Amino acid sequence: MKHPVLANRVRLIVWWLVWLFMTLGQLLLYYYAYGRFTTTAIPDGIISLIIYSGIGLSLWYPFRYFNATSSRTTAVITNLVVSGAVAVTLWVLINKYFVLLILPKVNDYQAYWEATFPYRIGTGVFIYGLIVLAYYLFISLYNLSEKNAKEAKLESLVKETELKMLRSQINPHFLFNSLNSVSSLTITDPEKARDMVIKLSEFMRYALSKKDEQPVSLRSELENLRLYLDIEKVRFGDKLSTEENIEEKCLETKMPVMLLQPLYENAIKHGVYESTESVRIITQAKIIDGYIEITICNNYDPAPSLRRGTGTGLINVARRLELFYGNKASIKTTKENGIYTVNLYIPTDFL
Amino acid sequence: MEKIRTVIIEDEAPAREIIKYYLKDLDYIEVIADCADGFSGLKTISTMKPDLVFLDIQMPRLTGIELLEVLTEKPEIIFTTAYDQFAIRAFELNAVDYLLKPFPKRRFLEAVKKATDKIRTGTGNKEPVSQLLAKMPEPASPVNRIVVRKGNAINLIPVEQIKYVEAQDDYVMVYHSGGKALKQQTMKFYEENLPKTDFVRIHRSYIVKVTELKRIEPYGKDTHVAILQSGDKLPVSRAGYKHLKEELNF
Repeated sequence: MKHPVLANRVRLIVWWLVWLFMTLGQLLLYYYAYGRFTTTAIPDGIISLIIYSGIGLSLWYPFRYFNATSSRTTAVITNLVVSGAVAVTLWVLINKYFVLLILPKVNDYQAYWEATFPYRIGTGVFIYGLIVLAYYLFISLYNLSEKNAKEAKLESLVKETELKMLRSQINPHFLFNSLNSVSSLTITDPEKARDMVIKLSEFMRYALSKKDEQPVSLRSELENLRLYLDIEKVRFGDKLSTEENIEEKCLETKMPVMLLQPLYENAIKHGVYESTESVRIITQAKIIDGYIEITICNNYDPAPSLRRGTGTGLINVARRLELFYGNKASIKTTKENGIYTVNLYIPTDFL
Repeated sequence: MEKIRTVIIEDEAPAREIIKYYLKDLDYIEVIADCADGFSGLKTISTMKPDLVFLDIQMPRLTGIELLEVLTEKPEIIFTTAYDQFAIRAFELNAVDYLLKPFPKRRFLEAVKKATDKIRTGTGNKEPVSQLLAKMPEPASPVNRIVVRKGNAINLIPVEQIKYVEAQDDYVMVYHSGGKALKQQTMKFYEENLPKTDFVRIHRSYIVKVTELKRIEPYGKDTHVAILQSGDKLPVSRAGYKHLKEELNF
C-alpha cells in the first residue's frame, strides 16, 4: 500500500489546504485564549503547521503497521493512544523549541505559549483524531476496492476458462478418419488428396488459431463450415449433401468463433453416421426484428442408435450463448417426421 | 492352397479403397464382398461365411461391436478404427489385430499375416463374446438399444421396450414387449449399461425396469417378491430391496 497522500499530487495539495484551514482556526482559538493579538502568533502558527503536517504524514507508517500486524481491537487502540500521545507531545514541544530558535528575541512568546498550552493539547488531540479517521477510512476503502478488483479478476478468469473449455474441440474421430481418407486418396486420386489436405489444414487453422474469444462474422463461420462439410463429403460421398439459403444481409453478423461447428458435427454424427440413406443438411439464415435466425436441419434414421447421445454439444452451444449474450440469444431443437431442426436466435447488433 | 475369403465392412468408401489397395498384391487373399453398414455386413458374413473380416466399429444401423455380439460362427476379425481407444484395449485379446486409421502398409501386412497364420493352422480365436464384452470399460452414456438374433432374423430392441433381464448361466434372457431373447452377455454388462434411472438390480439374477413394478410384497424372512404389471413374480434379495428403497424413496 503506497502512502495515501504522498503518492498523489492532488491529495498532497488538498492535504496542505486542510492544514492551512486548521491553522487559521488554531490562530483564532489561541487569540481567544490569550485575550489579545500578538505578532508571535503568525510564525508560531506557520511553524506548527509545518511540524504537525510532517508528523501527520509520517504517522501513516505506524498506522499501516498496526493495521497489518494486530487484529485485536484493544491492541490497536493501545497503539493509537500511545502514538497519539507521542505525536501531540512532540508537536507541542518541537513547536516551542523552533519558535524560540528562530525568534529568540520575542519576549512574550513564553507567556503566549503557556496561556495556550491546554488549547494546544486539545487541538493536537483533535487533529490527531482526524488523521486517524482519514487514514483508517483510506485503508478500509483500499481493502474494499482491492477485494472487488480481485473478485472481478477471478470472475473474468473463470468465465474465460469456461469459454475456452466450451469451445468445441476438434473431434478426434473426424480428424483420424479424414487422414485415413487422405491416405487412401493418395493412391486413387492424388489431386483430390491434395485438395483434402489443404481443406483440412485450413479448417484446422481456423479452429486452432482463434485462441481468444474474438467474435467473427457469419460469413467466415460459414466458410469454415463449408470446409468441414466438404471434407465429410469426401468421406461419405453421395451419402451427404448440403444446401444453403442465406440472406445476404446476415453475413456480417458477428458471433463467437466456432459456435455453429458442434451443431453440424451433431448433424453428421446422428444423421450421416447412423443412416444408410443419404442425408441432406440444410442451412438457412434470415433477419427478423433485429435478430438473426439460423436454422440447421437434417433428416435422420429414427431407429435407436447404440448409445444415447450425451447432449454435450448442444449444452455447450447453449452455455456459450448465455455467457456471450446473457438472455438475449436462444437455441431450440425439434424432431419431426424424421427431420431434426436446430433454431438459433442471435441479436444482430450485440457484438 | 485355398484362397482366404475376405469381407470388408466399412462405411466410408475411401477407407474401403485403401484396404482393397493394400490387399491387391496378396494373391492368397480374395475379397468376396464389401459392405457399407453393419446390417448388410452381418448378412454377408452369415451367408458367405468368409475366413477373414475387416471390421469398422462406428457404422450405421449396427456397430462392429453389436455385429460381433450376434455372430454365431466367427471368422477372424481385424478391427479398423479411428479413435476407439477403449475398444482397442477391450478387443486386443479377442480380435486377431486392430488397425488404427490411418495405418501404414507394413502394419497392415503384419495384421494380415497374423490372421493368415491363424486361419492356416486352424487356431482361431474361440473366446466367447460374453468374456470379451465383460472387458469393455464403463461407457460414457447408457445403451439405447440391444441387438438380438432370432433364428435368422436380427432384431434391434430399444431399451424402452425391455421389461426385465434374467441371468441364465453364461447367458441372459431379455424380456421385452415383443417377447424374450437370449443373449450371450453378463448381468454386470446390463447393470452398468442400462440407464440407471430406469432399471434396478433387485436380485443377483434380475434387473427390472422400475415402471414395470406393480407392487412389492414380503416373502419369507428378510426377502421380498416383486409383482410386475404383467403378473410375473420376481424374487427380491435383501440387497435388491435396499436398491429399490434408494431408487424409489420409500
